Amino acid sequence: MATKRRVGPSAWILGGAGVAIGVIAAWLVSQGNPGNMGLCIACFLRDTAGFFIGPAANMGAVAYIRPEIVGLMLGATLAALATKEFRPRGGSATAVRFLLGFVFMVAALVFLGCTVRAWLRLGGGDLNALWGILGIVAGVSVGVLALRRGFDLGRAGSVPRAMGWIAPLVAVVLLVLSVVTALSGPPNGFTVTTANALATGDDPPAVFVKGADGAPADVVKPAGGTVGAHGSIIASDGSVAASAASVAAAKPQPGGKRAPLLISLAAGLAIGVIAQRSRFCSVGGIRDALLVKRFDLLFGVLGLLLGAFVANVALGQFHLGFEGQPIAHTDALGNFAAMAVAGLAAVLLGGCPFRQVIMSAEGDADAFAAVVGMVAGAVASHYFGIASTAKGLSSLGWPALAAGAALLVVIAFARRGQTA
Amino acid sequence: MELDVRGLSCPIPLMRTKKALEADPDQLTVLADSGTAKTNVVNLLKDSGYVVEVAEEPGGYRISARRG
Repeated sequence: MATKRRVGPSAWILGGAGVAIGVIAAWLVSQGNPGNMGLCIACFLRDTAGFFIGPAANMGAVAYIRPEIVGLMLGATLAALATKEFRPRGGSATAVRFLLGFVFMVAALVFLGCTVRAWLRLGGGDLNALWGILGIVAGVSVGVLALRRGFDLGRAGSVPRAMGWIAPLVAVVLLVLSVVTALSGPPNGFTVTTANALATGDDPPAVFVKGADGAPADVVKPAGGTVGAHGSIIASDGSVAASAASVAAAKPQPGGKRAPLLISLAAGLAIGVIAQRSRFCSVGGIRDALLVKRFDLLFGVLGLLLGAFVANVALGQFHLGFEGQPIAHTDALGNFAAMAVAGLAAVLLGGCPFRQVIMSAEGDADAFAAVVGMVAGAVASHYFGIASTAKGLSSLGWPALAAGAALLVVIAFARRGQTA
Repeated sequence: MELDVRGLSCPIPLMRTKKALEADPDQLTVLADSGTAKTNVVNLLKDSGYVVEVAEEPGGYRISARRG
């Protein structure tokens, strides 16, 4: 062959898409999203699950339908319809994909972010994410080994048209629930974390909202609680629910930090269109570089990092270091291992969680099964207390990672030669 | 030579096409059914020095490549 390129013109498209997504994500943080969480598929699916499950799975602090997810799905569906790429398909090891999504989510919530947020965290100066990214490379390497040995989940085929419309329909239902909730509060039985709520470190935590003067104004929890002298929180029975010192040290609840609904929705729509057209993937770049020596996709995550970095610096949100990073912990080995498990799960799925959401919106019922698996993984993580906190891994963090890794290795090396 | 990568997850369409190119064929036809697989395969073929045409079919895309 006369000419051979390893970086083609599509590298510019992917790099540009990455920059755009990184900039939009950083901007969403300036509009109210949690730190370095302008876009996080794991966190946002988890928060969305929290809206439905709420305190029943210890998800009261992470309960909010993230409009970014709704926008992503609708944007991708519209882009796919406009380019005739909407194609109902499915039937490729659907149950295995559910499991892979489940394991991905459990691991992501040990790291505290998905494979997209890992890059966004680094772009915000969170150096703990470096361990996570090294972990992604390690996990992807194992996945590449499995692919070389013939790993294959089998062919998908056409499915009844209605199957392909499940994900877009879910997005529309979520949109309606979002708007209803924004206008008149959550319908009965659903939970939304109070906007800008802070939680103390007490057990159970006291939850409150600050007034304009910075002092606690409204007490959300305990119910009927009041603000006492010197800024403590007093329960309705007169006991101290949280001391003034603990109130002063209270941290924002992730679900309560959010950009305005329309901004999140518009940003999600834009990212959905960009992602559907560019095929941006947060693990595919590393995978293709290692597996087939093609580097176009890698420009996507490099662009993401660059866009987030530049925008964060411009917006005054860049804070370099390991300590005190937003929604992050400093357990290097935990960060590495969690993202290694997540990276392997993503390769076995054929793309990162972000891609799974986009593909589900293009009519891919298997990708939707992976998304449902992620939601189930999020609920399980919070119900059983597996998810990490800013303090570090929970006691179940390591056992869950070990179990997830074992399951992935079995899937990776047992499923071979499914297709001719 | 004809290669059917319909229904396969990423990156298998790319791997299969790359493997087919090892034989250095004068022409190659790849059947794909997702926009992503189509784009990835077309990019690989173009980057490998082939002239590529894509035709839409009921079941997806017929990607025809001949040496440029």
